[in-house]
Formats: sequence, structure tokens, C-alpha cells
Amino acid sequence: MTRAAGIRQVALGAAGILLGVFIVFPFLWALSASLQTELAIFRRPPSWAPAPATVANYLYVFTGRIPEGYAVRGLLRSAITQEARLLPAGLRNSLEVALGVIAVNLTLGPLAAYTFARERFPGKEIAYFFILGSRLLPAVAVAIPIYLIVKTAGLLDTKLALALIYSAFTLPFTIWVLTLYIRSLPIEVEEAALVDGCTRFAVLRRVVIPLARPGLAAIAAFSFLFSYSEFFFALLMTSSVKAKTTPVVIASISVNPDSSYTLIAVGIVVSIIPPMLLALLFRRFITSSLVASMEQA
Amino acid sequence: MSTPLGLRRAVLWRARRAGASPAYHALTVIPVLLLVGLFTLFPLGYAAITSTRRVLLTLPGSTPFIGLRNYAQVLHDGTTHVAVTNTLLFAALTVPSVIVVGFLVALLLHQPIRGFGLLRALVLLPWSIPLVSAGIIWRLLLHGDFGALNGLLYQLGVVHSYVPWLSSPRLAMQAVALAHVWREFPLPAILILAGLQVIPREIMEAATAEGAGAWARFWHILLPWLKGPLLIILVYETMISVSVFDLVYVLTGGGPGSATTLFSWHTYTSTFTFLNLGHGAALSFIMAGALVAFIALTLRLIRVEARSA
Repeated sequence: MTRAAGIRQVALGAAGILLGVFIVFPFLWALSASLQTELAIFRRPPSWAPAPATVANYLYVFTGRIPEGYAVRGLLRSAITQEARLLPAGLRNSLEVALGVIAVNLTLGPLAAYTFARERFPGKEIAYFFILGSRLLPAVAVAIPIYLIVKTAGLLDTKLALALIYSAFTLPFTIWVLTLYIRSLPIEVEEAALVDGCTRFAVLRRVVIPLARPGLAAIAAFSFLFSYSEFFFALLMTSSVKAKTTPVVIASISVNPDSSYTLIAVGIVVSIIPPMLLALLFRRFITSSLVASMEQA
Repeated sequence: MSTPLGLRRAVLWRARRAGASPAYHALTVIPVLLLVGLFTLFPLGYAAITSTRRVLLTLPGSTPFIGLRNYAQVLHDGTTHVAVTNTLLFAALTVPSVIVVGFLVALLLHQPIRGFGLLRALVLLPWSIPLVSAGIIWRLLLHGDFGALNGLLYQLGVVHSYVPWLSSPRLAMQAVALAHVWREFPLPAILILAGLQVIPREIMEAATAEGAGAWARFWHILLPWLKGPLLIILVYETMISVSVFDLVYVLTGGGPGSATTLFSWHTYTSTFTFLNLGHGAALSFIMAGALVAFIALTLRLIRVEARSA
């Protein structure tokens, strides 16, 4: 019996290692490639670990200093893509857009969700289902009209346009999650506050928001991950360094046949650090609110 | 005797009415309605009109009403047929794989083994990164000239020359599917794991005590218990799989030839490469209609199941 249990443990452990490799190997390979020279990566088979490791590719992206290896190969012009130099700006644009979307979700979201959760008013059901149902539309179906709206408003190639679009796309999920969350909170404290003469808004601010902090953390995380990752609308709406976000920049680096493999790898590594950190830090909030919203559905 | 309670109720009722006026309702809800409406309802109406007109950006100024002819044209277009076939094939490849892999990973992570706490944290990573980044990671891995997978297989002696995974018609679709599964399996894994964790231990122990094997426990306890989450995952993953775009953009560009031309890619190129907005709008309405029909059907199924349970 103990022997069978031991075999079981070993088998499960091996399966766990296999899973770990499946998850982590692609990331490690991108990291390794980003620290190599172009010459090393072209070997067959490639060198798996960077030997010697070089941060020259990162230096190029962030300071413009051209790595030595390229000059040696005499492929200076073809192997270095100017687009890679847009990466710092793209990162900054992405973060700014994402922070804007978080701000909109954390202000409009709780206000509307609290009203949906606790108030009764004519048209409430219709408004609620309209907001939630809007997420069923495939993005490509509304892309052209949205482009025209943005163009008419004179907001093409601005971060503001992206922040507005992403807010409209994230608010439905925010309101859904927060409404469910608020409904699950004990109502007695709120009622006591109302009896004491607080307004709805005061109850929201003083009672509900402090209680709903885990839900709000999850909302902030989802808003960030969505806005940071969105590609399709960013591709359509932006055209310059003013507003191009990280996914647009790294996509244009990677589909450029002249791009150097190592610079593409730098793009990956830089682009995935913010969302990965966020996912690891906010893991508990993300999973618990995903699970809660699914159970209520 | 009941006065305090009655009084309390009356005060509460008045307090509630005083606390939230119609103006407050409007102020809190209307900004969201406006924002969401501006970016869904208006575009939807606009796209509906566009889909009934001939709108070619190559011929600006003339957009005659042509009824349902855009729909007829795209439905007779050979590329649409290819795109539909490819999309169904892609969904058939990825949706079951994502769910099965997610389920297996959840079952594995549910085991109380030292070190699995770390895995439970790591499993979220592929899902947290931008789809574009995931696609490019797999572009590096599967590259025909210096990809890591080729290097590995070459080193192990499995292949003697590098395989062009992304540029051979037969393999390109599977390569995109592989990248999709890697990026998508974490979500079902986490949701199913959460479902497993709330199954009362006594039920499993009782079943084991009565001699139910692993299979019997899986079929008669786990699956029925997880039916709700699994159906929701099925709906969600089908939506995601059918509308995949970013991966195709960075991995294959719809090629080689039309081997990975999925429906959303076809809609994108009709609209933004061939600049036929009427066709693009008609295609997106067909896609939206199919998705809504699928969701409605599945939700109905869930409700029927729930009622019979």
C-alpha cells in the first residue's frame, strides 16, 4: 500500500514537473534569446543558455546604443529595427492607458454597481442587461463605426480614445462582478447607516467601498490586464509613437521580416513583465472573483 | 409589541427613499450607459446600415443601398467557405484541448503535493500576458530557421533538417492551435480547480469506501458536480476560439496561402485590406449572429439541465 502510494507520489510529481516545463519553458527561452547575440542564436542547434550573456539588446532598445554583434556581421541595417526603439514609449503609453481605464472603472463602476445592487428604479433590468449584453458583440463587428466616431471626435492616435474604448469594454464586467460582490455583503450595516441619516452615496463611500476592497482590487487587475493586452483596437486607432501601445509595437517588430530574433525576444520580455507581476501580486483577488462570478452566473 | 420593528421599518423605508432619488439613480447609471452605448449600440446600428450598402473605400462618395446583396456575395465567396471551415476546424482542435488540458491540470494541482503551491501560482502566467506576446513567444519557438523546437528535435535526433512549422500548410493550423491552448488552458484550470476544492471530502471518501474506482468517481461525482462551470467554460472558450485574431496576426498572417485564414482574419482583410466595408460589416453580422445563437442555445441547455436537476 505504501509502495503504491509512493509510486503515485512520484508519478504526480513527474506530471507536475512536466506541467511546469510546459508553462515556463517558452518564457525562459524568450529570456535566454533576449540575452544572446544574434550570432549565437543562429547556431544549429542554438545555445540554450546565453554564453556569455549580454544586455546589449536591452541597451539598444532603451538607449539606442547599437550592439557590437551586428556590426561584426555587417548586417547592421537589416537586423536592427527602428521599431524596437519605440518599445519604451509603447510601454509608457500602455501603462498610461491602463491606469486611465482603472480610474474610470473604479469610479463609475462602484457607483453604478451599488445602484444596481441595492436600488429599485424603472428600467433597471433593461439597463443592466444592456450593459452586460454589450460584451457579446465581437470586436470586429463594431470596429469601423468606432473608428469613425474616434475620427469625428478628432481623437485618432490618442491615448484618450483607447482609454475611452477600453473603459466601455471593461465596465460591463466590472459592474457584473461588483454588483454580485455588493449583493453578497451583509445589508444590515448599510441599513443602520441609512437609518442614521446617511445618503446612499455616503453609505457607498463609508460602508460599501471599504468592505468591497477585494472586489475592487480584482476589478483594477482585470481592467489593467485587458487594457494592457488589447491589440485589435490599438492597431486600428494608433499610428505613431504618441499612442501606440506595447502589443502594437511588439507585433510590428515581430512581423517585420528584417527584425533581429534577439530584439523580438527583448520585446516579449519587456512586454510581459508588468502583467505577470500584476497577476502574481493580485492572484488571490483574480481567482476568487473569477470563481465567484462564475458561480453566480 | 411589534411597534419597534414597525417603527424601524418605517424609518428605514423613509431613509431609503431619502437616500436615493431618481436623480441619484440617473447620475450613477447614465454615464456607464452612455459610454457603453456609444461604443456598442451606435456602432451596431451603423454597421447594420453599412452591411446593406455597397461601401468601397476605393470608391468614396457612392454608397448605394443594395439590400442583402453583401450577405449573398460573402456567403458565395470561396474565401468565406475556407474561413468557416478553418474556424470550425480551429475550434474543434482548441476548445476540447483547452478544456481537457485545463481539467487534467486542475486534477493534478488538486493533489496535496509539496511544491504544487508554486505551480498553482505559475499556472496563471500564460493567461496573464498579452495574446500578442504569447503569439510572438510561439513564433520564436516554432520558427522554421532558428526556432527552439527545431533546435531541440534536431539535438535529440528526431529530425535531420529544420521543420517549417509555421509556413507549411498542414502544420501551420496546428501550430496556431498549440499557441492558443498554451495561452488559454490556465483559465479553465483555475476555475475547475476551484470547483474541485468545494466538493465535500465526505462524498469522495464515502464513494471510495463503497468501492467506487477512480473512473466511477470521475463520471458519477466530479463531472455532475462540475457541470455548471464546465458549460460556462465551454461557452466562453468557444467564443474566444471562434474570434481569435491576435495570434493569427503575429504567427501566420492567415497563411501560408489561406491555411490559417480564420473568420475574424477574413473579416479583417475584407475590411482593411480590400477596403470593402459592406462585405466586412456583413461578415461581422454573420459572426455575431452565429455567436449569439450559440450562446442562447447553450444557456437554454444549462437552464433545462438546472430545472431537471
